[in-house]
Amino acid sequence: MAALLEVEDLHVRLPVAGGTLHAVRGIGFALQPGRTLCLVGESGCGKSLTALALMALLPRRAARDAARLSFAGTDLRSLPERRMAALRGDRMAMIFQDPMTSLNPTMRVGTQLVEALRRHRRVSAAAARDRAVALLERVGIAGAAARLGQYPHQFSGGQRQRLMLAMALMCEPQLLVADEPTTALDVTIQAQILRLLAEVQRELGLALLLITHDLGIVARMADEVAVMYAGEIVERGPAAAVFAAPQHPYTQGLLNCIPAPGRTLPGTPLAAIAGVVPSLVGDWRGCAFRARCSRARPACADDPVPTRTAAGRHSYRCVLSPAPAGREAAP
Amino acid sequence: MLRFALRRLLVALLVALAVSAASFLLVFLAGDPAVAMLGQGGRAEDAAALRTLYGFDRPLPIQYAAWLAKALVGDFGRSQFFNLPVAAILWERLPTTMTLGVCGLAFALALSLPLGILAALRPNSALDRIALLVAVTGQAIPSFWLGLMLIVLLGVVFPVLPISGADDWRGFVLPTVVLGYYATPGFMRLTRAGMIDVLEADFIRTARAKGLSAPDVVLRHALPNAIIPVVSLAAVQFGFMLSGSIVIESVFALNGVGRLAWESITRSDLPVVQAIVLVFAVIYVILTLAADLLNAWLDPRIRAA
Repeated sequence: MAALLEVEDLHVRLPVAGGTLHAVRGIGFALQPGRTLCLVGESGCGKSLTALALMALLPRRAARDAARLSFAGTDLRSLPERRMAALRGDRMAMIFQDPMTSLNPTMRVGTQLVEALRRHRRVSAAAARDRAVALLERVGIAGAAARLGQYPHQFSGGQRQRLMLAMALMCEPQLLVADEPTTALDVTIQAQILRLLAEVQRELGLALLLITHDLGIVARMADEVAVMYAGEIVERGPAAAVFAAPQHPYTQGLLNCIPAPGRTLPGTPLAAIAGVVPSLVGDWRGCAFRARCSRARPACADDPVPTRTAAGRHSYRCVLSPAPAGREAAP
Repeated sequence: MLRFALRRLLVALLVALAVSAASFLLVFLAGDPAVAMLGQGGRAEDAAALRTLYGFDRPLPIQYAAWLAKALVGDFGRSQFFNLPVAAILWERLPTTMTLGVCGLAFALALSLPLGILAALRPNSALDRIALLVAVTGQAIPSFWLGLMLIVLLGVVFPVLPISGADDWRGFVLPTVVLGYYATPGFMRLTRAGMIDVLEADFIRTARAKGLSAPDVVLRHALPNAIIPVVSLAAVQFGFMLSGSIVIESVFALNGVGRLAWESITRSDLPVVQAIVLVFAVIYVILTLAADLLNAWLDPRIRAA
């Protein structure tokens, strides 16, 4: 099936005090309708900026460029803001990390739900309202009709993320970008929201780009996974393959950090990847992970870092040869 | 909303009561009012007679109660200078001051809101610098000087506007500009700061993610959130414009309350001064109440507090 979203060699650069911050450095991925791609990585690895770059919502001072950036056959790279705005909220929608601050506190939620639909479609106010009520019921907000007149502060955190989701679905988008949609919520609510997200994705055949730092979420939700480190995708492939045989030392390190009941003894220190993320201000050569990598060697400083294939569509960027399955293989 | 409004109204009434007591006592702050009325060289017998005539010899609480009871029905006593009821004098002067205040406020907001919003949309741009220049000069130029310069320029050198009096609307143009310009910097800087803050907010990104047009994002989503402090300032500034228009009214020879206040103070016409203080204080209270209600209407979270 043809990809709905195709990204090749995407760069995002931000001017900062000491030079240029290369926040996203030549990443590429593709997403099919009805599939979920998880972009996973730690804070500051560029995953949120990637999402904003797709939606053309980057801060004004940030520069975006790409060899390819196409959505449903439309080249987004040179699309004027007017036409981009016509796509946003209509065919590509986005929900954000913090539902407490992502809704306008001075506007009734009904108005906020309806406005996207009325912006993109010729529908009557009554029809738009009916759609809002139906969607609110669908995302699990009881008594939806009565709640349209309320304000965001009258909803709990989980309910607000449900509102955000309903708002994003108003125009039946083809692509939903969810930037850490459950990070700000407590664990039981997280599970509910993720289940809901998976359900509506199946019902609507949505392509879902899910951004997270939580490998548990990746394991639950992803068809495909792309692991980001320091602005690059270091490993990508079908989720099952990546989890079964992680190849990049960073991916292996991430998976090792997850405590497992039974295997992690109480009282022993949890695993962590030593060191910190390198500064991406200025030019960078070689593998960005080498300073934290226990298997680093002189060749790691060379450009370009080779892209190797582990199996099928599972690939990674590292000088090391593919290792067999089993995460204990990593030192 | 109703509960919020009622609570605010109650507070406003209490403030008004306190203010009335203060303005009543004002007369006694300057010393014995009977002596003040006679002026220097007055005889003690005359002062005693005045004291009995005006009831200054009674205990203060009783005098206050009597004064307040009359003031509540609009009776502020008689002006000693004009020998007319104070209410009638005030009623004649108030429209000029009110018109000037409303026009000044409208002018200030009409100038500062668009400038503040545009400056916030493009911080540090040429437009932002120009807006800053407008603000700084407005802050730095004294009203009386600007008034005189405008009179010279537009009344004398290029005589397009009358330089004094308020026979028709043209007489209000220059005073409005001078009075309003002084309030512009505060409004503009506050609007700019508020908008810059709000435009960074997550919900603005949400609005943009919905594909809304730029005017929708800026005016419907951002502005109502940014304008709340401006509303509060506008209430205070409006009160200030009304009570502080003494200078403007003098420069442009307008017969408003500001000028009346000034003249009455120099003539020791105490009932008039007292009434003006009370009326303006109550106007302040009403304006503050109005700002509170307007803000509660703008931001539902205030209502719940």
